[in-house]
Amino acid sequence: MQYLTEHPILPLEERPVVHITVDGCPIEARLGDTIAAALTTHGIRVFRHTAKRRQPRGIFCGIGQCTDCVMVVDGKPNVRTCVTRVREGMVIQTQEGNGGNCGTL
Amino acid sequence: MERYDVIVVGAGPAGLGAAIEAGRAGARVLLLDEHDRPGGQLFKQIHKFFGSQAHHAGTRGYAIGQMLLQEAAEAGVTLGLGQRVWGIFPDGSVTSTDETTSTRRWGNYLVLATGAAERAVSFPGCTLPGVMTAGAAQTLVNLQHVLPGREAVMVGAGNVGLIVSYQLLQAGVQVQAVVEAMPEITGYAVHAGKVQRAGVPILTGHTVVQALGDSCLEGVELAALDAAGQPIPDSRRLLPCDTLCLAVGLNPRMELAAAAQCELVWSGPLGGLLPRHNARMETSNPHILVAGDLAGIEEASTALDEGRMAGLGCAYKLGLLDPAVYSRRCQEVQDRLDSLRQGPFGARRRTAKEEVFFL
Amino acid sequence: MSEEIVCRCEEVTREEIVAAIRQGASTLDEVKQRTRAGMGFCQGRTCRRLVAQMLSVYYSLPIDRFLPGSIRVPITPIRLKLLAETAEGCVDEELPEGQL
Repeated sequence: MQYLTEHPILPLEERPVVHITVDGCPIEARLGDTIAAALTTHGIRVFRHTAKRRQPRGIFCGIGQCTDCVMVVDGKPNVRTCVTRVREGMVIQTQEGNGGNCGTL
Repeated sequence: MERYDVIVVGAGPAGLGAAIEAGRAGARVLLLDEHDRPGGQLFKQIHKFFGSQAHHAGTRGYAIGQMLLQEAAEAGVTLGLGQRVWGIFPDGSVTSTDETTSTRRWGNYLVLATGAAERAVSFPGCTLPGVMTAGAAQTLVNLQHVLPGREAVMVGAGNVGLIVSYQLLQAGVQVQAVVEAMPEITGYAVHAGKVQRAGVPILTGHTVVQALGDSCLEGVELAALDAAGQPIPDSRRLLPCDTLCLAVGLNPRMELAAAAQCELVWSGPLGGLLPRHNARMETSNPHILVAGDLAGIEEASTALDEGRMAGLGCAYKLGLLDPAVYSRRCQEVQDRLDSLRQGPFGARRRTAKEEVFFL
Repeated sequence: MSEEIVCRCEEVTREEIVAAIRQGASTLDEVKQRTRAGMGFCQGRTCRRLVAQMLSVYYSLPIDRFLPGSIRVPITPIRLKLLAETAEGCVDEELPEGQL
């Protein structure tokens, strides 16, 4: 997957690079990206595995309603990646189950 | 104690409309939204709007959004962004959190403009990454400028499914097919035409049997439906794709209204359960007004005018508008709403809106 | 064919919900108590209507007989600590740069 490079209607402007890590790997995102969008550009689609069935989940509703896309962000589990924007130095991890004992939104 | 004349929940077109009208009349208005940017879904609408000049016809959604934000600023509206509203109480208070703190504020009148959420549908494999709502794909493309995938299949040939299919095509996604369970296309012909001219087949009378893939979506199995709505076994076929978009309708987000004890009624044509309201957008709770998709799924342009109606109502109840002005302004808004609710689709919504109060 | 998940948060399948209804669950709340469907983070926003539809088909009654189920404050999950500390406050009067 990738960022759009051309579009008939949308004005596409250059945005500054933001550095984040995902499961220990450094990746580049763009300022203003949601975590979910940044991961999508790098072909990452599995954001977590569920608690009961250990099944993969990713983006579903895209507006912060369904909580399917939650990940562990800077040590905090259950962060809705579709409505949380990247910040320089952000540490993101695939969430396993409820992400530990501190699991609330 | 933080008290406002009007607290509006939801900064989409309806909430902005309400905040602008109440603010212009001189009310102290707080506009809360859970997202970090205002505008609701307006900024991902890149198609040109229909309607008359008064409805910004020919203008794209995001440009209308910019205009409304400007108007809200000029009307002196206070904006509370990143505020997820979690509670509403009989004393007129609203509680919200920015995830670090939680705050309670009072409003003499509340306008709920919480919008809608896309409906889900279940089938085996529906939780695989790559299966997402059409709105999620639209957000990725139009707001984040990111491709959700390379090859997509759309479920639903209503307006959302058709418009988002076309927008995916514009962004360079290969749309394999639009699948619609109903025997005919349910969206506007103008939208369907664009998709069909791009070579995308619209498969009416078809359904998704299952989504397939190991850790991510790799394909969908489709089948034609018989007269009883059952999949015909011989018709099953596999379509490879990495993205499956669901556009199967919207639900009014009525949770806050329900928690506020607003009476709820069911209206099929308006999308389901919603707060009972009259033409002035008043609910069964004398301090709560509603507007936009929460009051029945329609369009951004109707949401904006319903918001204006609710904002005028608040201003009038606060004594900021004299009765003659209020009634004239309401009539202007109502005339615009009536003109938006024309044609076979619009007329059905208009009838449903007129019935909602009496259900 | 893989299982059909209806409640995405609590990973409840169609089969499990059908079983609960067959065993006598006749409301959204009863289905929730037996299966946890609608009890997860999203508070039933995603599956409420799907479960109501299943009840509606099973009992041959209109879907609105089963909606909305019980909806109470807090309508979205909030940490108990925040809930207890809810302050009487004000938002920033200054709007963020470029926002408006």
